[in-house]
Amino acid sequence: MIEFNNVSKRYPGSLDVLKSVSFVIENNEMVFLTGHSGAGKSTLLKLITLIERPTRGQAMVNKQNLNKLPRRRIPRFRRDIGVVFQDHKLLFDRTVFDNVALPLVVAGYTYQETSRRVRAALDKVGLLKKEKVFPITLSGGEQQRVGIARAVVNKPPLLLADEPTGNLDEALSNEIIDLFSEFNRHGVTVFIATHDIQQLRRLQKRVIQLQAGELVYDSQSQANETPA
Amino acid sequence: MKSYFIRHAQVLFYVLGQLARTPVASAMTILVIGITLALPGGLYLVIDNIQRVATGWDGGARVSLFLKHETSPDQSKRLLNKLQRLPEIKAVQLITPAEALAEFKTRSGFGDALDALDRNPLPPVLILTPAPDASDAVSLETLMNHLKAYSEIDLAQLDLEWVKRLNQILLLAQRGVILLAVILSLAVLLTVGNTVRLAILNRRDEIEITKLIGGTDAFIRRPFLYNGMLQGLFGALTAWLLIHGSLLVLQTPVSRLAHLYSSQFGVSGLGLQNSLILLLAGASLGWAGSRLAVGRHLREIEPR
Repeated sequence: MIEFNNVSKRYPGSLDVLKSVSFVIENNEMVFLTGHSGAGKSTLLKLITLIERPTRGQAMVNKQNLNKLPRRRIPRFRRDIGVVFQDHKLLFDRTVFDNVALPLVVAGYTYQETSRRVRAALDKVGLLKKEKVFPITLSGGEQQRVGIARAVVNKPPLLLADEPTGNLDEALSNEIIDLFSEFNRHGVTVFIATHDIQQLRRLQKRVIQLQAGELVYDSQSQANETPA
Repeated sequence: MKSYFIRHAQVLFYVLGQLARTPVASAMTILVIGITLALPGGLYLVIDNIQRVATGWDGGARVSLFLKHETSPDQSKRLLNKLQRLPEIKAVQLITPAEALAEFKTRSGFGDALDALDRNPLPPVLILTPAPDASDAVSLETLMNHLKAYSEIDLAQLDLEWVKRLNQILLLAQRGVILLAVILSLAVLLTVGNTVRLAILNRRDEIEITKLIGGTDAFIRRPFLYNGMLQGLFGALTAWLLIHGSLLVLQTPVSRLAHLYSSQFGVSGLGLQNSLILLLAGASLGWAGSRLAVGRHLREIEPR
């Protein structure tokens, strides 16, 4: 699903934020990306969603070459990736229903199909009763679940999350991460950037660790180091 | 194809709702556009109406031929018959010196003073009415030159110089209105462009998120283009109302004035065609202004 081959990223006037990073994530895998703040986790996710382009190296996501994908084809490419953000990125002037419906509206689904899928996604995250509510009235955990519903409503084959449990207590974090692993069981490739060690230990999934822009640990290749 | 229309209709109603949710701000912009468009539109109408009055005068062109004093009544008659045979001339009327004097006496109030003259100072006059198809400026010019060849004619006077001048002035004013329309169109373009720019900046988060979840540029652009187009359209509608409202106010005094000149003249409005042109122009200007703003600012907003 994701294949990075010696990918480096440098912003103008800075050192390399990512240094020659290589890894492969197969279909249906669930992988955690960990590392300290500033290790390059967010940059890596930005490369996958084509918010940024690699400076050097080859990157393939969902059979698309990120180095060569023209700008006008980025929207369609992004429709196959569900993204969950730490700050949720919800629209506060629209109801929960409208927020979750946005990816379907953008893709041009009919109203009937849209409402069917939105309700299914809200049901999965346990917020069906809140569809007419504005997100501002929801708790942090609920807002995050709205964000997750929006990310999966389009049934994308790849789900990315950037610190999805960043602001949540342990019980809520467990809930959210369990939600992700349930999507994974249904065949979605899941890639989560987090420094929540608790969750890494609890789920025993593959872990990739970045440190100062370098990939220093991959539990699958059985390196000597353990995650910090 | 059907879903394409449905999507456009959805955007249309969404934008209408947006405009309705901020009624004061929307009304202000629309009023500004309306006044801006009403100015050239109203001036156009004024000139158009004056032109229609002037055209009426033009059609009633008369040529006065003052004959030499020594021309006898017989000679006058013969000239009249000769002129009547010309195809350019519809009718000729002879006013003898006696008739002219009588008319002058009754009209001028100099009756007694004129009696003191020992002879009639007025020459015989022929009044020519040109044929309708020879009433234009060039044909009249040719006719005038032709008339100079007759020895009996002392002076041929075409009382159309001032109509010609008026027409030239109106043409000039028309150019002025076009120029004004171009400049004020630019103002509409910038007005819409600016409100749309503010709308874009207000919806920065929304645009960013929409881009992140795979919204195409066309999808993001569409509500802003509709917004600009509707503002332009409603602005043009306001302009139309302003113009016809003013017309309503002017109608009574104008028709009274016309009555004094025993003319059937009444002010005419924009008419269907010009009204449609006004609405179309407003909508296009709004669309173009919004397109300019969108083109400039939408690319700057990228997810970070």
